[in-house]
Amino acid sequence: MKDLQYLILKKENLDGFVSRLSRLRKVSAPVSKGNGEFAFEEVGSAGRIELNYKPTIMPPKKYLMPQEETLLEFSTAKGFETRPVVEYEKMALFGVHTCDLAGIQCLNAVFSVRPRDYNYLTRKRQIDIIGLECGDYCDEHASCTVVSAHMPSGGYDLFFTDLGGYFMVHTNTQAGEEMIEATKCFESAAEAQFEDLEAFRKKKRDTFKNEVPIEPRFIPGLFDACFESPVWKELEAKCLACGNCTNVCPTCYCFDIIDEVGLDLKSGRRYRKWDSCQLEPFAKVAGGENFRKERSARQRHRYYRKFRYPVAKYSKFFCTGCGRCSRTCMAGIHLKDTLNALIKESDSRIWKKWL
Amino acid sequence: MKRPKVGFFDFACCEGCQLQVANFGEELLDILGAIDVVEFREVMSEKWDGDFDVAIVEGSITDKHAVERINRIRERSKVLIAYGSCATIGGVNGMKNAFDLTDIRKYVYGSDYKFFHTEMTKALHQVVKVDYFVNGCPVYPPELVKVLKAALQGIPYYVPDYAVCVDCRLNENVCMYEKGVACFGPVTRAGCNSWCVNNGNICYGCRGIVSNPNEKGMKEVLTKYNIPIEFVLNKVNMYNKCRELVEGGEDDE
Repeated sequence: MKDLQYLILKKENLDGFVSRLSRLRKVSAPVSKGNGEFAFEEVGSAGRIELNYKPTIMPPKKYLMPQEETLLEFSTAKGFETRPVVEYEKMALFGVHTCDLAGIQCLNAVFSVRPRDYNYLTRKRQIDIIGLECGDYCDEHASCTVVSAHMPSGGYDLFFTDLGGYFMVHTNTQAGEEMIEATKCFESAAEAQFEDLEAFRKKKRDTFKNEVPIEPRFIPGLFDACFESPVWKELEAKCLACGNCTNVCPTCYCFDIIDEVGLDLKSGRRYRKWDSCQLEPFAKVAGGENFRKERSARQRHRYYRKFRYPVAKYSKFFCTGCGRCSRTCMAGIHLKDTLNALIKESDSRIWKKWL
Repeated sequence: MKRPKVGFFDFACCEGCQLQVANFGEELLDILGAIDVVEFREVMSEKWDGDFDVAIVEGSITDKHAVERINRIRERSKVLIAYGSCATIGGVNGMKNAFDLTDIRKYVYGSDYKFFHTEMTKALHQVVKVDYFVNGCPVYPPELVKVLKAALQGIPYYVPDYAVCVDCRLNENVCMYEKGVACFGPVTRAGCNSWCVNNGNICYGCRGIVSNPNEKGMKEVLTKYNIPIEFVLNKVNMYNKCRELVEGGEDDE
């Protein structure tokens, strides 16, 4: 594993790294919001950063795909003039867990499909991403192993693994190298430190086990068989349609586009803002028809958008196992419970006939 | 373009929503550049005896005089905007509807109660046709601007028909239920940018209930968090009592 791409950062130098980096660009990192909750917020030093945090209320998606962003400005004062707008800012995200790195990789895939989304892709290029490895489960809602998001697999510029007194740092990109050059806080790694990393990963492999009793490769088939499952009807009774599950999801990317005029009624802007398939008006069209009136149909759609449709389109799950949807649901709709219920319910129908 | 003539009116209310207009600050200049305010008792002495392009009406309808007056305002106005919770959902005035109206009059006016007519509190749309709704107690000023722009363009404004939780989650507030406090965000219409919760308060449901609330699911959530249903219903009724009102309501002469 010994490689020039690995360096170490001593813990006492973390503050130096973050402070120096924050002088060059905006740096956002997980900080405490109280009540055991965390959020990515701008920091100027390492002081407020929580290295041991459970997934933040909102995923780092909020920086890559802002909740509201202007796409176009228009004016009808002289003829009809339009000006495309791309909003972006040079920044670094520090402390991104592997689940959220997986989420960003999903978004990258979505917005790279033609027609490419230049608002997203331009902004993405300006955001440096520094990952941070988890050594243990954050809580009972996490299911990162079933979707293979528990181990680092790219999607970052630098990746930090906390090995006690120091971080092992993997440099993955040119942008990562530039951050190392610019901050000058890093040292080369010694043989013993690679052994520490090996030991860390070994322990991790013993800790992280598939959280759901199904092999990942059977999940698409499970969903093919479960479209009419009574499990969805049970969600109908529970779901309040508050939209929390989709708003906190690191891979949900649905948005609405709205034209807004100024008070002069002559100029205005076109902007997009996050939308959610869980909300009553989402599938409502002119004439009042609502294609997904039942909350059960909306919840089912959400699960299929994580475990079935993206497998067909992008060959990957759009669930990163971060557990946010389960954690935030006051009605107690938990992802692992739903998968377990589907497996149990379909057990007799599917698996047995293959024997 | 000629600036449309706008009048502000009030019925049973605290006039606080109209005060929000005065609180706009610099943006008020832009608004006044787009509309011609011809009557607004709270901030000016002039009256207008012609027709209104837009009437912005605060307050709920609570007696026969109010019924007559709101009908006259409606007749004189091309567009009528219900402004603030009292106007859009009845608001706190609706709490009266939980009591016997004679008892209420005795409580307020004592032995002279017979001189004072009253009737079940109604939101404006329960009495006259309403074109736009600006919810809230008080209204959220940016929403008033949105509604004004929709009215100036002659296009509909759709009050968000989803929960306050949407805005609240985007604002990354820690959920009140996680703090062990009952909050009405999950069943209340969004559009206020969850400003109460942003400032450490709960959602009181002042914007009215979403069109398709999951009442059974909400009850289960309250049970899960050990919150008595009666307590919650009382709180919800603080703003939303009028939603139970059947057409007409009862009078008490």
